[in-house]
Amino acid sequence: MIPRSIYILLVIAALRAQTEPVKDIHRNDPRVWALTHAMVHTEPGDSIKDGTVIIRDGQIEKVGRYIQIPLDAYEIDMEGAHLYAGFIDGWLQIKKDEKVKSPDDHWNEKIRAEYRAKDDLKLKEKELKALHSIGITAAHVVPEQGIFKGKSDLVILNDDMVSVAKGVSQVLEFKTTGWSDRGYPNSLLGVIAVMRQTFLDAEWYLRSLEIFEKYPEENEPLPLNPSLSELGRYHANRLPILFMTKEEHSALRSLKIAGEFNLNPWLLGSGYEYRRLKEIAEFNPFIIFPLDFPNKPKVNDPHIALQFSNEQLKHWDMAPDNIKKVFDADLRFSFTSGTLKNKKDFRKNLQKITDRGLSQDIALAALTTYPAEAMGVNKTVGKIQPGYIANLVVTDGNYFDSRSRVTSIWLAGKEKYISERHKPIIAGKWELEIDGNAYDMEFFVPNTYTKTEELRQKALTTNKLEGKIKIGDETLNLIDVRISNKVIEFKVKGTLLDLDAMLAFKGEVKKDKFRGEVYDGSKKGLSFNAKRTVSIKPIVREKEIASSTVLYQPEGAYGLDKDLLSPNAILIDNANIWTCGPKGIVEEWDILFVNGKVDKIAPDISVPMGSALVIDGLGKYVTPGLIDCHSHSAASSINEGAQAVTAEVRIRDVLFADDVNIYRQLGGGLTTANVLHGSANPIGGQNAVIKLRWGSGPEGLIYKNAPQGIKFALGENVTQANWAGTGRYPQTRMGVEQVIRDAFRAAQDYRHRHKTYERNSKAQRKTIPPRKDLELEALAEILEGTRLLHCHSYRQDEIWMLTRIAEDFGFTIATFQHVLEGYKVAERLAEHGAGASTFSDWWQYKYEVIDAIPYNGTIMANNDVLVSFNSDDAELARRMNTEAMKAVKYGNLSEEEALHFVTINPAKQLKIDKWVGSLEEGKDADFVIWDGPPLSIYSKVQETWIEGTRYWSIDENAQLEERDKTERKDLIQKILSSKTSSYGKEMKPNGQTPQHHHNCLIDDDDLMGM
Amino acid sequence: MRSVSLLFLISIVLSNDQIPGADQKRPILLRGGTLHTVSGDVLEKYDLLFAEGKIITIDERIQPSPETDVYEIFGKHVVPGYVAGYTRIGLTEISAVKQTNDHSEVGDINPNVRANVAYNPDSDLIPVTRSNGVLVVNSAPSSGRISGQSSVMMMDGWTWEDATMKHPAALNLNWPNMNFDFRKNIKKNEKTQRAEYIETIRKIDHLIRNVRAYHHRRNAKERKAEHKQESDLRLESMIPFIIYKEPIHVKANDIRQIEAAVNWANDQDLNIVILGGRDSWINPELLVKNNIPVILLGVQVTPRRRFEPIHLPYKLPAMLHEAGVHFCISLNPGYPMDGHVRTLPDEAMKALSWGLTEDQALRSITLSAAEILGVDEQIGSLEPGKDATFFIAESEPLTQTTNPIKAFIQGRELDLSDRQKNLWEKYKEKYRRLGRLTE
Repeated sequence: MIPRSIYILLVIAALRAQTEPVKDIHRNDPRVWALTHAMVHTEPGDSIKDGTVIIRDGQIEKVGRYIQIPLDAYEIDMEGAHLYAGFIDGWLQIKKDEKVKSPDDHWNEKIRAEYRAKDDLKLKEKELKALHSIGITAAHVVPEQGIFKGKSDLVILNDDMVSVAKGVSQVLEFKTTGWSDRGYPNSLLGVIAVMRQTFLDAEWYLRSLEIFEKYPEENEPLPLNPSLSELGRYHANRLPILFMTKEEHSALRSLKIAGEFNLNPWLLGSGYEYRRLKEIAEFNPFIIFPLDFPNKPKVNDPHIALQFSNEQLKHWDMAPDNIKKVFDADLRFSFTSGTLKNKKDFRKNLQKITDRGLSQDIALAALTTYPAEAMGVNKTVGKIQPGYIANLVVTDGNYFDSRSRVTSIWLAGKEKYISERHKPIIAGKWELEIDGNAYDMEFFVPNTYTKTEELRQKALTTNKLEGKIKIGDETLNLIDVRISNKVIEFKVKGTLLDLDAMLAFKGEVKKDKFRGEVYDGSKKGLSFNAKRTVSIKPIVREKEIASSTVLYQPEGAYGLDKDLLSPNAILIDNANIWTCGPKGIVEEWDILFVNGKVDKIAPDISVPMGSALVIDGLGKYVTPGLIDCHSHSAASSINEGAQAVTAEVRIRDVLFADDVNIYRQLGGGLTTANVLHGSANPIGGQNAVIKLRWGSGPEGLIYKNAPQGIKFALGENVTQANWAGTGRYPQTRMGVEQVIRDAFRAAQDYRHRHKTYERNSKAQRKTIPPRKDLELEALAEILEGTRLLHCHSYRQDEIWMLTRIAEDFGFTIATFQHVLEGYKVAERLAEHGAGASTFSDWWQYKYEVIDAIPYNGTIMANNDVLVSFNSDDAELARRMNTEAMKAVKYGNLSEEEALHFVTINPAKQLKIDKWVGSLEEGKDADFVIWDGPPLSIYSKVQETWIEGTRYWSIDENAQLEERDKTERKDLIQKILSSKTSSYGKEMKPNGQTPQHHHNCLIDDDDLMGM
Repeated sequence: MRSVSLLFLISIVLSNDQIPGADQKRPILLRGGTLHTVSGDVLEKYDLLFAEGKIITIDERIQPSPETDVYEIFGKHVVPGYVAGYTRIGLTEISAVKQTNDHSEVGDINPNVRANVAYNPDSDLIPVTRSNGVLVVNSAPSSGRISGQSSVMMMDGWTWEDATMKHPAALNLNWPNMNFDFRKNIKKNEKTQRAEYIETIRKIDHLIRNVRAYHHRRNAKERKAEHKQESDLRLESMIPFIIYKEPIHVKANDIRQIEAAVNWANDQDLNIVILGGRDSWINPELLVKNNIPVILLGVQVTPRRRFEPIHLPYKLPAMLHEAGVHFCISLNPGYPMDGHVRTLPDEAMKALSWGLTEDQALRSITLSAAEILGVDEQIGSLEPGKDATFFIAESEPLTQTTNPIKAFIQGRELDLSDRQKNLWEKYKEKYRRLGRLTE
C-alpha cells in the first residue's frame, strides 16, 4: 500500500539555495559527477559490474555500464568500490520535544496528533556521523511525547535536512506512566481506551466540521482541534498509523485496534513477532525493526541463571531469526539503528541475520526499497536509477560482510567522506626483482600476533608484518618492516647484493605489485620491482546458523508444543459425579461428553468400541470445572485510577494469555474466571469472563457466551483512605454515592441526546451529531440491563446504598464482590436480587473489614442470597475447592452446597449458567476429574477439561516439567559454549513471577481488589 | 471426683470480650480420648491427667483422686496447641491502620526493641486465632535490617507479662536483597549494588564486633572507675545472641541469601534460623550440614519462578524433611495476612497432601515449631511435665472442618468465643426477629 497523499517533496538543496540570501560570497560547487568502474547495486537483486553513475544537480541522471560520460561531468574512478542506494533508517526519534502550547490543544496533553517531529529535529555532529558511517542517508524522524505523539517525516540527513516525505505516519505508543502520574490515562487499560475514543472522536470531528461548514447558522461554533482534525485526515485516508510495540502482546493489541478502525497499521517491531506471527501477519503490518538482539544472558553463575526465565533463554537463541520468519510470513519491513548505542553494532547484527538465512537482497531492500515504497517515495528514493535522488553509499566491499568499510556517502549529490578504504593485504609470497635477479620474498604475521585469530586478523589487515628473503639456502630477515597506506619500507643486509652495507627499500604498492628504490647511502637510483606470487587467504568467518529451538504456545515453561487431546467423545465410567445440577451427587455413574458438550449422565452408558475416549472413573470424582467470580489473573493491567469514572476501559483489551497462572489454576480445577478491573475508582472498567484456554491467544481466552459486565467499587480503596492518595474526588463514602448517581444521570442524558438526534432527520442533516462516548455508552448499558454490574464492597451501609441507587435507576446489581458485611444486610441483598461473591475467611487487613466473619457465606446463603466464593488471588484461585470447604467448617453447610459456591452459583452470577457451572445434558464439557472427594485438601486434580479438550493432566504436567528442565539445561549449555555475541540490550531477568498476595497491595502500578 | 458433661462446658459464646482463663485450681482428667502426643504415638482411648497447668500423667487408665474433675472425651481428640513460628499477633490490629501497628520501629538497626512489651493481650486477633487451635505464637518485629527481638507469647493472659512464654525468643534480621540487577543501562549498576550489599554486611559485622568489645569491656575485672563503659542499649541487647548464641532469625528466601547467611553465621560463630527459605530446596544439604532450621512462611503459595514445578511450594516441606532439614511451618505476615494465622493448620494439611508424613505434618506446627523457638521443654507435645497447652476437638486434627471445642493454655481453660462468633450470634438475632431464621 502506498499512501498516495503523502507530500512528496522533490526539493533538493538547490531550492533552499534559491531562497536563502548569501552570507558572504556565492559558493557554487560543481554538481556534475561521473562515478566510474564501480560495482553498482542499482536495486535489490540487480547490479552492474564496472558500472558508471552520472550525478547531476543532486539527482541521478544516468546509470549503466557503457554510457557516455557527459562532457561537463568530472570523472571519479571508483575501481573496487561498491555503490548502493543510500540507506534509510526507519526510526529516528527526536530527543526533546519542544512543542509550543496552544489553547487549541487537545484537552488531554497526551494527544498531540498535530505535532510534527521534524520541527524539533536536532542532531549533534557525532550522532549524524555515526549514522552516516553505517551508510544511513535518510531517516524516518518520529516524535517522542505522549500517546498520540504526532507526525513523522522521511528526512535526508544532509546539511539542510530535507524532507522527502512529509507526514509519513501518525505515531502511537502504549505509554503507561503508573500511579505517580495523575494525568489520565496512566495504565495500559486507559491508554487503549483513549486510543479507541480518540479515533472515534476524530471521525466525529471531521463529520461535524463538514456539517458545520455547510450549516454554520444551525450550529454552535465547533472549537478548533488540530489534533483531531489531523488524526481524522490520517484515518479517513488510511495513512499509516505507526504503533510502538515492546513485545508480541502489544503488537497484537495494536493490530486489534487497527482492525477495529480499518487503519493502515505500521509497527515499531519488538523482535518478538515470531511468537505470535500468524496472528500478526493477518493484518499485514509494515514493521520497522530495531536491529537489536539480546545479549547473552549471564548464566555462568547458577544462581544468577535462575533469574532468567526459559522464554528469555529461548529468546536469546531465537531472536536473530525473527526477521527471516517475518519475511517468510510475507511481511515487509525496514531496519533501524535507533536502539543501538554503538551504531557499529548495526552491521554486525545485520550480518547475523543474513548468516542465519535472510538473503542479502532482502536485507538491502529493507534498507532501501521497502521503506521507500511504504513511505510512498519509491520513485525517488531507494534505488540507483535515473531520476532518483543521488543518495549513495560507497563501500570497499560487500556491505553485508561487516568487515568491509563504508568509505563515503553521497547525500543529494554531495559526497561526504567516511573512512579510508581497506589497505591492500601485503602478507604472502612475492618475487623481488633487482637488477634482473629474482628473489623469493615473504611477508608474514609475527609470532606476537598469532595468539588469537582476532589478533592475527588485525595484524593482517593493518599490515603489521615481518618479512624475509631467500637467497639460495640463506634466509635474510627484513628489518624494520613498515607498511603505511601505500608505502612500504624495510631494510635488508647488504649480503643480498654482495655489499657490506645496509640496504633500505622504499616502494609504493599498487594492487599485486610494488616498485621503488633501494638506497645504501652511496648508490643511488637502483630500482626494484616486486610482484605477488602467493596471496594469503582471508580467514573464513564462522557463520551463525539459525536456531532449532522449538516455539511453544505460549512461549516458555509449560507452553504447548503439540495439539491438546480433544476427542469427539469422552466417556467416564463408574465415577462419583457431583453434578451441581438437579441430579445432585451420583455414585458410580457414567458420564458421556460429545462434541464439547455433556451428552448424558446415567447409571450405565455404553458406546460403540473406539467411538469415545473411555476413562475409568472408579474411585474418582467428577465435578464441573470450577469458576472464580473474582480474578486478576491473565491481565496485563488492572486499574485505570487516574479518574473516578473509567467505564470505558476494558479488561479484554489487556488479556495476557501467557500468564502461567492460567496453567497453574487449571491444575487446581479452575476452568472459568471473571477477570475484573481493580478497585481504584468508584466506576472502574469492563470485566472479561474467560475460559482458561492455555495455549490460545488473548482473544481465545474470552468466553463469548458471557454477557458484558463492569466493575464498580466502594469504600476505602476508592476514597484512597489507606495511603496518601491523590486528592481525587471522592474522598468519602458520601462523595462516592454522588459520583455514581451523577454518572448514571449523565448516561441517561447521553442516551436521550442520541435518541432525539436519531429521531430527527432534519437535525441529522444540519446539526453536529452528538459524540459517541464510550464511557457513557457502558454506563447506559448498565441502565438498560445489558451490562452486569459487579461491585467491590465491604460495609453494609455502602451495600445498602448501591442497591437503592440501582432501584432508583431501575436495574439490578449482578454481584457484590467481597461483600464482607453482606451477612448484616442479607435480607436487602435477597430482596434486591444481587448475588454475593465473597471471601471464605479473610478479615482484619483494613478498617472496613473489621466485622468480616467466615460465616458470611453461610448466613447469606441461608437468607436466599446467591453466594459464591472467589479468590482475588492467583494462589487461592488454584484451590477454590478448599476455599469452598471453609463454608462447611464455619457455616456447617453441606459439602455439596459448598461446591456450588465455586461452580453453579458463580455461573448464575455471571449469567453463564446455561452453559457452565454444572454437569447437565447440553452444557459445556467443562469438568474436573479428582482422585478423591472434591472439597478435600487431600484430593488432587487428575485432569481438567474445557469444552471437551483436555487442558491439564497430572501426567502431562509431569512430562512438561521434565521437558522444561531438560530444555533449560540445554539452553544454558548452549549459551555457555556459544562463541558468538549479540549486540543490543540486555534482557531484564524475568525469571521470578510476581507474587500477588491477594491483589490488594498498592504496588507501583496496581491497586487491585481487596 | 466430679464428672462433668463436656457439652455443658462448651464455652458460652454470648460473652463480650473474652475473659482470660482462670488458673487451674483442680486437677482435670481427660478420659478416653485420642491423644496426639506428637512426641510419640497417637494413643487411642487413653487418659490424660493435668494439674496446676502441667500434664501429670498419660496412661491407659488413670485413677482420679477425689478432687479431680473428670471429662469423658471418648472419640474426641486431644492435640497440643499449634505454634505459629512467625507472626505479628498482638502487635497489630488492623494492618492498614497505622495507629494499630507496633511491629515496625523506625531505622535500620533496632536490636533492642522487644515485641512482648507492645503485645496487646486484648487484641481481637487472639481469640479468633486460638479458635482454630493456635495457642502459642512467636510475635516478631519486622522492619529495617535488624528488626528487634521476638517473643513467644501464649494466646491468653491479662497482661503481656502473663502472656509471655519466652523472651527473647530470637533476634530478627532481614538479610539484604541479593537479586542484583546486572543490566548496563540502569541507574545503579551491578557493581554499586554489590558494593551496597557488602557495605550492609560490613556494618552488621562491625556492630557484632562492637557487641563483643562492649561485653568484654563491661566484664573486664581490672578497670578504673573512670574507664567505665557507658551503657548502650543496642549493643547490650545483642549480647545474648552474639555472646551466648541465642538464635537469630534471618529472613532469607533467595538461595543466594540463604547461602550467604549460613556462611556469615559460620564465620561469626552464631546460631541462626532461616525465616522464609523459599529456595531452600536448591541446597538443603547446606542447612543439614550446618544444622540450621527453617521456618517456612507459607506452603500454599505460588512458585517463585515460572519454570519451577507448579506444586513445588506444596512439596517443599516434604523435600526438606527427606533431606533432613529441621523445619516448621508458619505463615508470611504482613498485609493482608496478619489476621490469617488461624489458617496455620491448612498449611500443614497441604504439606501432608503433597508428601509430608502425617506425623511430620502435625509436628511441623507443634513440636518442631516449639523446638525451633526453644520452648519445647514446655509445649509442643503431650508429655508429662509439659504445660497443659492443648485443645480438644471432635475430629482428627488435620481435617479441614475441625473446630476445637475446648482449649487450655497452662491448664487455664480458654473462652473459645471471639468477635466473629459474637457477630454471628448478633445477626442471628436480627434474622430471628425478621422471621427469616427459626432456631
